[in-house]
Amino acid sequence: MEPTKTEFNVMESTQTDYSGTLMVEDEHELASGERVMTLNMGPQHPSTHGVMRVLLKLDGETVIECDPMIGYLHRGTEKLSETKRYAQIVPWTDRLDYTAAPQNNLGYVLAVEKLLGLNVPERAQYWRVIMVELSRLASHLVWLGTHALDIGALSMSLYTFREREMIMDIFETFCGARLTTNMMEIGGFSRPLPDTLIEQIRNFLRVFPNRITEYTDLLTANPIWLARTKGVGVITPEAATSYSLTGACLRGSGINYDIRKADPYLVYDQLDFEVPLGQFGDVFDRYLVRVEEMRQAHKIITQALNYIEHDDRPMMAYESAYVMPPHMGTMTTAEDMQRHFVWVIKGFSAPIGEVYHAIEHGKGEFGIHIVSDGGSMPYRMRIRTPDYVNLGVLPHMAQGAMLADMVALIGTIDIVLGSVDR
Amino acid sequence: MTDGENQKSNAVVTTGTGWERELYYDDDLSKHPVVRELSAVFPDDFLDAVRFRNETTIYVTPARFRDIAMYMRDHEKLQINFLSDLTAVDMLNLRTAPRFDVTAQLYSIPNRVRLRMKTSIDDGQSVPSLVPVFNGANWMERECYDMFGIFFEGHPNLRRILLQDDWDEGHPLRKDYPTRGWKDFPVYNKERTIRRTKTRWTGRGV
Repeated sequence: MEPTKTEFNVMESTQTDYSGTLMVEDEHELASGERVMTLNMGPQHPSTHGVMRVLLKLDGETVIECDPMIGYLHRGTEKLSETKRYAQIVPWTDRLDYTAAPQNNLGYVLAVEKLLGLNVPERAQYWRVIMVELSRLASHLVWLGTHALDIGALSMSLYTFREREMIMDIFETFCGARLTTNMMEIGGFSRPLPDTLIEQIRNFLRVFPNRITEYTDLLTANPIWLARTKGVGVITPEAATSYSLTGACLRGSGINYDIRKADPYLVYDQLDFEVPLGQFGDVFDRYLVRVEEMRQAHKIITQALNYIEHDDRPMMAYESAYVMPPHMGTMTTAEDMQRHFVWVIKGFSAPIGEVYHAIEHGKGEFGIHIVSDGGSMPYRMRIRTPDYVNLGVLPHMAQGAMLADMVALIGTIDIVLGSVDR
Repeated sequence: MTDGENQKSNAVVTTGTGWERELYYDDDLSKHPVVRELSAVFPDDFLDAVRFRNETTIYVTPARFRDIAMYMRDHEKLQINFLSDLTAVDMLNLRTAPRFDVTAQLYSIPNRVRLRMKTSIDDGQSVPSLVPVFNGANWMERECYDMFGIFFEGHPNLRRILLQDDWDEGHPLRKDYPTRGWKDFPVYNKERTIRRTKTRWTGRGV
């Protein structure tokens, strides 16, 4: 049987009226005799965290249906990466989730290293853990500040952005950039560490536990915060699994799935940390889970830094066709310069095959699926971003919710539109 | 908690039962529990299994794509209950037919193992939707339709998601779609009405 467009409820290309895409019609009369009201939330609404539009069907103040419309920030990263060599794609991954660029870099770089079968030195792996956990803190701090700002605790963002500034300064010392870091390289790190870096991280680690206490003092027992978050946006464990949620959205519902524990990458199996779980699956539980994740991230950074502080082993995979040849010899010997030139201009040929590698991003499972045809560019690269999949649960959560709770529901998923739209 | 519940919620760790986690990573693919089960239950529709970099890919026919996913989800021991990702690969440059590979990344939370399930379809052929099995497939299949033009039979709401609804240039992630799109893009200053200015680096104007 030949499938037709009408059979699948596909919109015709000339049809731009969005009202038909929802099941409830505008003219539909409710049992109370009232009419359904359509409300357009966004794309400039501040609590949509960028450019997302949510179409709401309302019965009074109760949401009957909701339809999130995304894609305003779609840049075609997957298509573009089919025309870039493997080392050139790393900067593109910065632009996915721009509050946590090192984690995107890591997810991509680990997938490529898995495809190449490359072993990275232990010291580089520890430094990757430190940078990724700092970036997880930065991501959670942005989330906490803006989520509380949406709900009405205006002053939270002043506190959280203060600590995020310290993390951004650490990134600046480490790699020269603050937001789009382009930090990870295939094979490790090719440049030496700056002198002041460890002292800067130590300073941050010293003050941070007290700062977390400041946040929880402001929010955890705050009656307004409790009234706005407790029992709102409940996701059952079955729904969370079925909707493919990951990260704090899944663990807030009590399902223990953290890739750092379930399928350890880097050196996470040698570090001591715990995975916090929620109990009721509401907005408040997801808040508690993320705050506890910040404490655990602090614990991980401290352990990793204590272990690796006085280490001076190499940070780059040695003598491999896949990593960038060292810069040192390029100025003095012709052979080194030629090797460097050929690597930069031609890249390397990856083995034929396909891999999928997932890491535990601050927002959930960040997976890269690379199909290689043996060339120097990926034949197909799929980016599975956590917040795109997590946002799919919003219509389910919003059914029957109050209009004022919509900002809490959007905030609790922790979306960044650069990552949703890719 | 009774013994039965305990077994259901945890991975089976006793040796010699045929369901150990090591068997999922064994070099001999016929020992893989999924391969063993599917070749017994779906002998005609389970086509092939491939191992690369410690990852297992199984190939199934498009007709039973949903049934096999449902079977593995509800199986007492396999418990592949989580859909990580669903996407497609346009195989235009790699083989003549069929055109697309629809790829589902599955995961078992109790057993902690990944599995990639693939099915090959031609252009215009439809795949059974996974939405009745996993709700999370909804948006993934919408994106797959948006980017590749693959129809998912039984999807409740199959329309474009990332591109706008009146996008009339086709499906961008197909291999025959140029990176810059089909439309002409405007060329700035084609008639050179604006004078060229020399830059420090190139010595010539822009």
